[in-house]
Amino acid sequence: MIFPKWTNWLPLALGIGAALVGGGVAAGVTIYLTPKYTRAGYQPVQPVPFSHRIHAGQLGVDCRYCHNGVEKSWFANLPGASTCMNCHNQVLKDDPRLQLVRDSAETGKPIPWVQIHKVPDYVYFNHEVHVRRGMSCVECHGRVDQMDEVREVKSFSMSFCLDCHRNPAANIRPVDKITNLGWQWSTNAVEAQKLQEANGKKLVHDWKVESLQSCSACHR
Amino acid sequence: MKNNLNNSSSPNTGRRYWRSLDELADTSEFKEWLHREFPAGASEMVEDGQTRRHFLKIMSASFALAGVATLGAGCRRPEEKLVPYGKQPENYTFGEPQYFATAMPTRMGAIPLVVKSYEGRPIKIEGNALFPGGNGGTDRYAQASILDLYDPDRARRFKNGDKPVSREQGLSYLDGLSQKFSANGGQGLVFLAESSTSPSRARLQKIIAEKYPKSKWVIRDAIDSGIHQRAATQAFGQSVRPIFNFDKAEIILSLDCDFLGGEDDAHNHIRKFSVGRKPGEAMSRLYAVESLFTLTGANADHRLRVAAGSVSQIAAAILGAVISSQMPSAAAASPNGVDAKWISECANDLIKNRGNVLIVAGQRQPEIVHLLAHAINTALDCIGNTVTLIPAGETESADSKELETAETLIVLGGNPAYNASLPANAKTVIRFGYFEDETSAKANWHFPAAHYLESWGDATASDGSAVPIQPLIQPLFGGLTDLEFLARIAGETQTNPHEIVQQTFGLSEENWKKLLFNGFAVSTAQPVSNVRLAQSGAELNQLLVAAAKPAPTAQNLEVVFYRDAKADDGRYANNGWMQELPDPITKMTWDNAVLISRKTARDLGVQNGDIVEISLNGRSVKGPIWTQPGMADYSLGLALGYGRERAGRVGDGVGFNAYKIFSGKYIETGATIKKTGATYTLACTQHHWSMEGRPAVREGNLEEFLKEPAFAQENFHGIEPPVVKSLYPNPLDEAKKTALHQWGMSVDLNACVGCGTCVIACQSENNIPIVGKDQVGRGREMHWMRIDRYFTSDPKRKNNPSLFDPNADFNQTDENQQFAHWIDDVQAVNQPMMCHQCESAPCESVCPVNATVHDQEGLNVMAYNRCIGTRYCSNNCPYKVRRFNYLDYNKRPLSELKGTWYSTTLTHKTGGEWDLLRWWKDPNSGMRTEDEWDLIKLSKNPDVTVRMRGVMEKCTYCTQRIEQAKIAQKAKAGASDDVRLSEAAGTVPKTACQQACPAGAIVFGDVSDAASSVSKLKLQPLNYAVLGDLLTKPRTTYLARVRNPNPAMPDYHEPFSTEEYDHCSLIKKGNS
Repeated sequence: MIFPKWTNWLPLALGIGAALVGGGVAAGVTIYLTPKYTRAGYQPVQPVPFSHRIHAGQLGVDCRYCHNGVEKSWFANLPGASTCMNCHNQVLKDDPRLQLVRDSAETGKPIPWVQIHKVPDYVYFNHEVHVRRGMSCVECHGRVDQMDEVREVKSFSMSFCLDCHRNPAANIRPVDKITNLGWQWSTNAVEAQKLQEANGKKLVHDWKVESLQSCSACHR
Repeated sequence: MKNNLNNSSSPNTGRRYWRSLDELADTSEFKEWLHREFPAGASEMVEDGQTRRHFLKIMSASFALAGVATLGAGCRRPEEKLVPYGKQPENYTFGEPQYFATAMPTRMGAIPLVVKSYEGRPIKIEGNALFPGGNGGTDRYAQASILDLYDPDRARRFKNGDKPVSREQGLSYLDGLSQKFSANGGQGLVFLAESSTSPSRARLQKIIAEKYPKSKWVIRDAIDSGIHQRAATQAFGQSVRPIFNFDKAEIILSLDCDFLGGEDDAHNHIRKFSVGRKPGEAMSRLYAVESLFTLTGANADHRLRVAAGSVSQIAAAILGAVISSQMPSAAAASPNGVDAKWISECANDLIKNRGNVLIVAGQRQPEIVHLLAHAINTALDCIGNTVTLIPAGETESADSKELETAETLIVLGGNPAYNASLPANAKTVIRFGYFEDETSAKANWHFPAAHYLESWGDATASDGSAVPIQPLIQPLFGGLTDLEFLARIAGETQTNPHEIVQQTFGLSEENWKKLLFNGFAVSTAQPVSNVRLAQSGAELNQLLVAAAKPAPTAQNLEVVFYRDAKADDGRYANNGWMQELPDPITKMTWDNAVLISRKTARDLGVQNGDIVEISLNGRSVKGPIWTQPGMADYSLGLALGYGRERAGRVGDGVGFNAYKIFSGKYIETGATIKKTGATYTLACTQHHWSMEGRPAVREGNLEEFLKEPAFAQENFHGIEPPVVKSLYPNPLDEAKKTALHQWGMSVDLNACVGCGTCVIACQSENNIPIVGKDQVGRGREMHWMRIDRYFTSDPKRKNNPSLFDPNADFNQTDENQQFAHWIDDVQAVNQPMMCHQCESAPCESVCPVNATVHDQEGLNVMAYNRCIGTRYCSNNCPYKVRRFNYLDYNKRPLSELKGTWYSTTLTHKTGGEWDLLRWWKDPNSGMRTEDEWDLIKLSKNPDVTVRMRGVMEKCTYCTQRIEQAKIAQKAKAGASDDVRLSEAAGTVPKTACQQACPAGAIVFGDVSDAASSVSKLKLQPLNYAVLGDLLTKPRTTYLARVRNPNPAMPDYHEPFSTEEYDHCSLIKKGNS
């Protein structure tokens, strides 16, 4: 006997070992190397401690008051400092936290906000068509009205886009409820889900919403 | 990569289309091109043994290193900043393009434009479709001019001698000049300017003339387009300018007038000409008499090939035949070798259509030819009908001899040191120019000019309408406008060009804004009526005798200097788009050549690529030979505008400088040619992307069309698509049921003249890089659309033994075949070719990674990020419209465009540092220098991905425009179902090529909408699909070309080339 008997188990042990290691690597990659892990949760510190929770949540300022380009352009613009000063030349007008804003409005030197939500350059995402056709801000940006410091909630991966493009009915809502981030078809969650399905289908049909899945929809 | 072409080798009988003499002669070089999908070496790295395999070895090492680096550097995504405005501008939404009306000044007019701007950057130039008679078309110069704005070599600084000075110093020098000349009345002050139609400049000129009465103002152009006005003024004895109405003419006779190509305002002529060329009873007929083979000749129904110096005699002979009482007796002797019947039948045709004919003389022809043309026009009652005379503006120009009196010479634009000479005795030369070029080098002061997209200004369009020029961007490098420059010299208090222009127009604020919004004020000039010729027949005769020249011979060659289709007079020499555009006729890129006819080449014993020395009047220049079918014998064609020494990184040393033997006359005789023994490689694209003798073009004569309108349909010469049912269902058939639109295109071969504007428009819209001469030579040009130019010649000549060398054996491959007679008189067909968006696309089925797939609206889309560069798709494309990025063309420095060695990050240094090291430190850093980077980034269209190395790309039907239109419509629809684009509502976008085409030859639209123009065009009897028998179901179809030759003419041709078709059907019969 050249090989001892235990070697009979060696192939099996190696096989199981390899499967475990391979599975572990695969699982690790899927969990840790995908945008769900690497992107969601990104929360940089902004140069001005602006709180969406206070402005959009408590005070109920509409998203479009500041991000006024969102219905007109592919880009949802950040407001110029002059927009902030519309209120803050009255409210908290000497607050040191707003020094950067006051300087910017005066000198025209922009505030260097840190970009949070980003798609790659080869993706031509368009805000205008989404918000004017019943896609709420909340679907991608989450409950910004409950965040002090904004963070990325969704993965912004291609599969994230495609989930919705494959079935727009699951997320579509009346166009006047777009910026009402907490809005649902019903206060009862189960009921809301049912209504979303039924009404979503109807809206998709009535508005001729396309389920665009070809490359040219996003890549040019 | 070799193709088996057994089924498409052309037989040697009958007529056939050919692209070059090499193809005709079936030379080994052509075969090499033909049999390889990509030419030999196109997929190899370089000549010095660094093969692709070697490259991969090195790359794998560097990837391994990069992998280590990534682990070390971590996966954190870089922090990026978003910077909003400090003060939000009003009425502006970030990300939305803005459009402004402006105009591009040309020599004799202006092209009204609408320019698209993103975030303050002009991105794309379109014609102003609202302009009366305009269709949104432009010319190629206008399309390419936007690249000049972002040219890193443009003049950026004020210079005194060799020293850069500050702007303030420069301006104070001009103030000092104005003080000096106010004191001495302009003693010794001479202006040397190019033509301009700017009313404001004319006003300033007048102010200067009043303030400095001793100053002189000389207007001189390297390419003189003013002869039309001067000749008409002389012919009719009053100051008039002719407008040629090609749309109203039934018979057009061009006397060496390249009105579709090299003449000023060609895009307007093309538009009008295409109106008259609609197949039908009223279709116009074009006769061309010329020496060079021009676009006009290529589109003519009858073309007479004569030396340029003989055109005056032919004009006289035709005048004599038209009205014998005015016949100048000198014309009695018919020019040598010209068929008298050609002239008499042409004249008969003119007489028959009295009142509806148009005779135009070319700008390179001497005044007598223009006078004769006007005499014929007058004799045939055309004035006021096909020729409109409008009062001409006064242009005051002193004689150019005054230049010699200059002490202070102010050179306003132009480049006299390159294309003429600077007066030797001027003490101070002050240059105002866009480039620091040959003239700047000799000037004492240089002032940088602003681009017209940076300037306030004005101009007068060719129809007399006033057009304002408004800036879209602040001068990038602080350049001055010519108006400010002149106003400062004049010592005006008002030097702001905006105010100067507003003052010239003298409008109320409201009307001024309206004018800027529209971009033009319609001409109110009334045509001059009741004109009569100022010359008698005897006077014409006298002039004719004086102009008569002996016919050129091999020892006494004629030289014809012409405006280049790309470099113009040299002003676009540093424009990479223009350099790389294949010349519409020769298909040459990055060079000019000595164009000669086949017979001349044989007599002089020269071949393509031989460098010869041309001597003329004691001066000489060296250039390579190019045998051009259709050239007049013993006539040399020399394109001006090349051989620049100080053009910039792109234009330096490209071609040879024909100005060296140019003395202001465009046609000269007495030249001789000497072989130098050296040879030169030209990058000519005529073999590239060859259709391999497969039938692509269908054409017929008007007679046949009237008899059988559907002659070009599927049964054209036995070509029938095999009735085969697809094995698998096409997924598109299912998608069609729910998709909102189905896109398609129709290209009218009858309207297309082959000018090439669409190619540049496509390049501008789709961020297509230039690759350089060496890369073009390897067949790597990136143009998404090309214009195939096919020659065809009369088979009667080929088969008539008396007309060609009886010893030549045409059934054998014979290198000497290119020297056979029957290629002398050729016709040409132009066919724009871009992705056909096949419904069952051969490229899609072979892509291993699904990088090219169909979308639901019938577009064959490319996902660049998926592409791994196998190039299978290109191999399988029967139309050869796919382009592969062999190198990172967007990152290559401009200075390397002409070298044979090209850069990769592995082999190249920037500023002394290896690029691989730079890339290691910063992966985004390129091989380009900083200034190139900054400008190239500004120039790119943000709607289109900039592709990198290793990616396949192709025409997308401008998918970005389609998507934007769809998004706009959906956003407008909001909570409704009004989401479909419709042509009736004007919401269907135009592709870049369609929008730029002055002839309206390209129509794009929704083929699922029966009311759309493209659907209607596809129902026309002339509609056919190229290679439709392959069952690719292309979405782009063509309208067959219809020619309108006169049956009475001696050179009446058989209607079309049928060889390819007949041969294909033969094979099919043989197979079945």
